[in-house]
Amino acid sequence: MTDDVESTETQTMSTTPDANPTYELVDVTRSYGDGATLVLALDALDLAIERGEFVAVFGPSGSGKTTLLQLLGALDRPTGGSVRFEGHALERLGDAALAELRLRAMGFVFQQFNLIPTLSAVENVEAALAPLAMSRTQRTESALAQLEAVGLGPRAHHLPTQLSGGEQQRVAIARALAGSPRVVLADEPTGNLDTDNGEMVMELLARLHTDLEITLVLVTHDEWIAERADRVLRLADGRLLNDAASAVAEKAAR
Amino acid sequence: MFYVRYLLAEVRRRRGRTALTAVGLAVGVGLVVIVGALSKGLDDAQAEVLEPLTGVGTDLSVNRPLIVRNDDAAGGGLSDPFSQLSDDEQRQLERENENHDAAFNYSDLGEPGQPFSRVSLLSTQLSFPDSEVAKLRDLDGTQDAVGSLTLRALRVEGVVPDSGQVASPHGPGGGFEFSDLTLSGVDVRKPGLAMVTPDQIAEGRYFSETPEQARGEAVVDLAYARQNGTNVGDRTELAGQGEEFKVVGLASAPLGGVASQAYVELGRLQELSDRQGRVNGIQVRADSADAVAGLAETIERQLVGAEVVTAADLADRVGGSLEDAENLSSTLGTALAVVALAAASLIAALLTLSSVHKRTRELGTLKALGWRQRLVVRQVTGEALVQGALGGLLGAALGVAGATIIDAIGPTLEASVQAQPNTGFGTFGQGSIAAGSTDVVLGAPVVPGLFLLATGLALVGGLFAGAVGGLRAARLRPAEALRSAE
Repeated sequence: MTDDVESTETQTMSTTPDANPTYELVDVTRSYGDGATLVLALDALDLAIERGEFVAVFGPSGSGKTTLLQLLGALDRPTGGSVRFEGHALERLGDAALAELRLRAMGFVFQQFNLIPTLSAVENVEAALAPLAMSRTQRTESALAQLEAVGLGPRAHHLPTQLSGGEQQRVAIARALAGSPRVVLADEPTGNLDTDNGEMVMELLARLHTDLEITLVLVTHDEWIAERADRVLRLADGRLLNDAASAVAEKAAR
Repeated sequence: MFYVRYLLAEVRRRRGRTALTAVGLAVGVGLVVIVGALSKGLDDAQAEVLEPLTGVGTDLSVNRPLIVRNDDAAGGGLSDPFSQLSDDEQRQLERENENHDAAFNYSDLGEPGQPFSRVSLLSTQLSFPDSEVAKLRDLDGTQDAVGSLTLRALRVEGVVPDSGQVASPHGPGGGFEFSDLTLSGVDVRKPGLAMVTPDQIAEGRYFSETPEQARGEAVVDLAYARQNGTNVGDRTELAGQGEEFKVVGLASAPLGGVASQAYVELGRLQELSDRQGRVNGIQVRADSADAVAGLAETIERQLVGAEVVTAADLADRVGGSLEDAENLSSTLGTALAVVALAAASLIAALLTLSSVHKRTRELGTLKALGWRQRLVVRQVTGEALVQGALGGLLGAALGVAGATIIDAIGPTLEASVQAQPNTGFGTFGQGSIAAGSTDVVLGAPVVPGLFLLATGLALVGGLFAGAVGGLRAARLRPAEALRSAE
């Protein structure tokens, strides 16, 4: 894909929310390899996610849930079908336009935290703001505010290795929120944490979802985590087995 | 700039990697700087050695080597070419040839039992009549020519043996002490072309301008003077016969060209040695460098038994450890430096590539955060550049330190001029320097151009590796990069 195409698309693409659903997936397929080694990670998936939803993607290892999350996060491209984000078909956007979307509309939380080991907590948050045009003071203040919001103000200048797993994941959440995203995509955010820290991180994510009206998509293979969501998508072998309100949500609705 | 902070954090906090890459490059750059400095030092040393040969203004030196009798050789005696000469001239040369060694007559020494000291002035080369100098001066291509006479002053001291006793100077009980001195008579009217030039005077002064004024003056070789405790102003009997010379100056002996131990005025030496009107060396200055070869041929053809040595011949004969080191530096040294730098660049490139590879997931994370590809590449390249710069600086420091140490130690190299084949004598007009040698102290001046080149190469190496590695990582889809293990 050439830069020309990318820049045209960047210009024509709106990065502000509109009336479209946040995500619309039509017949989405993602396969790896070919011939005998072909692995179908996602198989003809149809799905819609509305603005402000808290969706858990639940399933065993290899069910395709991380692949789905990566397609939603514009980190990967589908082999077939269409992934529409706020009305834009992501597969038709260039790399630069996708980077722009990730920068301004999306936030990511990873199982391994993925903090940059040489940067302090606040610098890690700033990394998500670096491509934006803002002064250093503005950027640092904004990053510090995000850390305050996750309760890590006093640890702002610690390196990741000086923080506990729970603290590291909270830094990652602060980083995901730094660019004021409309969507946060979390891949097993509690997978590397003990129960207490996992619980703390889940509460934080749930609160942010409620307070900031963020669309939250969370991948997990833990039933109890999935049940915190409004809606649970159950995947197996790349197919959607079940798409239903969570038990908790159903109970609340009744 | 966030990028700069990030870059510095990477360089600072990944100390091991930074140090390894920088040190690798530094060794390469340092080696190039040191080898370059050494090479320059050797060039300087060689120039210093050759300067006197090319600097005296003598392009050609003409002499007529002694012919040492060889009993195995058919015929013996003077070889045929000399038969062209007049009878007188042939007799003169024959006498010089016979008497060139230490033979002397004991009966002249005095009464048996008396102490004696006697100086014999012996031939080192066969001579020419003065008129030959004028002939050479008139040749096409000659700018000027000047004659010189170089003799071996052999001093024998001891007690006159009883008559009838077999006196073997070298044998036990001979009781004689020998000392030897090479003495040259120079034409003081032409100091620029003389065997010792005013440039060579290290202490005192050169000869007076006219032969009359210079009659009783001597210039002594610096090394010889040091050895014998001779100072400017001393009076010394150089040529025997109770004739004292006043030492007016000490001359440093350059390699090859001028290596007599003492110099006096030509006419005076001719008188003392009973060689009036004879010279045995002619120094010739050519009109131009192009004329030298042709002139050498003409002279050898025209002057029977003459041997012509050009300054270039002599320069070619400079050998010894200096020449060896020079050869080493120009071949092995350069190769070593290039290999070292290439190896260092390669190591730096591999380290950078490996580090970028290990950071694939980190770079994928940056892309997930919305960093565009070129930002990621810029980041990685910037880090590589800083490491290259660190390596370059460190290497420069290493190189300069190395060169300074070499300078401080100042290793001494020997430069020698080998004897011409087939003659025991005769190098550039001298009888005394069958094989001359001189020591030069090796310096290691840092060559800025080479330093810049080496640093530049280190930078380019780092930059290239960073750009390639960064681009490779950044081109991955973020999903793939994120899947990469840390």
